[in-house]
Amino acid sequence: MSLKESIENKDIALIDILDVILDKGVAIKGDLVISIAGVDLVYLDLRVLIASVETLVQSHEGNREKTSSIHFDKQRGELVHATGQPNKWTD
Amino acid sequence: MENLIYLYGLLPTEEVTDKPLPSVKGFDGKGSIYTVSMNKITAVVSDLNPADYSEELIKDKIGNDTEWLQEKAFHHHEMLTALYKKFTIIPLKFCTIYKNEESMRSTIQSSKEKVEDSFKLLKGNEEWNLKIYCDDNTLKKQVSENNPTIEAKKKEISELPRGRQFFENKKIDQLIETELENEKNRVCERVHEKLKEYSLHAAIKKNWSKDVTGLKENMAWNSVFLIPVAQVERFLEEVYQVEEELGESGWRFEASGPWPAYHFSSFS
Repeated sequence: MSLKESIENKDIALIDILDVILDKGVAIKGDLVISIAGVDLVYLDLRVLIASVETLVQSHEGNREKTSSIHFDKQRGELVHATGQPNKWTD
Repeated sequence: MENLIYLYGLLPTEEVTDKPLPSVKGFDGKGSIYTVSMNKITAVVSDLNPADYSEELIKDKIGNDTEWLQEKAFHHHEMLTALYKKFTIIPLKFCTIYKNEESMRSTIQSSKEKVEDSFKLLKGNEEWNLKIYCDDNTLKKQVSENNPTIEAKKKEISELPRGRQFFENKKIDQLIETELENEKNRVCERVHEKLKEYSLHAAIKKNWSKDVTGLKENMAWNSVFLIPVAQVERFLEEVYQVEEELGESGWRFEASGPWPAYHFSSFS
């Protein structure tokens, strides 16, 4: 594996992301000027800042479907149907 | 009320016609992302309800709701990373929002040449970030033992009468602190100059404090490079070698990338 590949596969922390996406590099100013660069990151929760983004990226790259209540509802419906019992849930 | 437009990034239109856009949810987690084309430039956007995303509300969320910030910052980053993998892209800063499509169109139109120049600059080049961390205690020990300025001062003190030695020795701690900072800058600047040779452009960014990084070492240097794809591996090998050379004296080098070119597509 090349150095580049091994670095690409490393986890990125929120701090690294904020360092980049809140940087001065505003390309084209929007109408709503949200100046978060001025927000003092010191007051943010450190655990959140250094949390790794790995899981989020992986769930996207693996093409896995996101779990949502719609899925659960669908599965529940299928299970209810399979049992042949009347549906006790109200949607 | 008219929807607000959240702008993620700009793509060259010619690339978008070849490949479909990933189908993903927009900034509010409900609507989908879509494109708005302006001749050679295509914007990737999503709609926002102005009642939920007023300037005040967003500012309040950013300042007081860390979980919201985390979710949205990740969303912005993931979207741009996904686009970056397929297209040449100018990433916009987090939360770049326009009042309506017309306002976005006219703003982009007025920077048309610069946008197109940026596309040219970014093609075939990658943005990489390098953070240098330093364990001050380890380095301080070396500085106090091996630094010529400090050695000279120590010698000078040893030749003084006893009473004055006491006071002068107190001052030496201060001198060590100063020399430590000098040494850190010297090393970082040397590394930076060396790495610049592999890059088209380089810039120095602000260091983050330990309160923000949560690390025990201090961030000594935070820099960003625009590197031709063919040079990236050599750039990283250089970083690796410097780390080998300096790792034992308390230094740590952390390269990350390639990033959507947040830094180098900026032209404001």
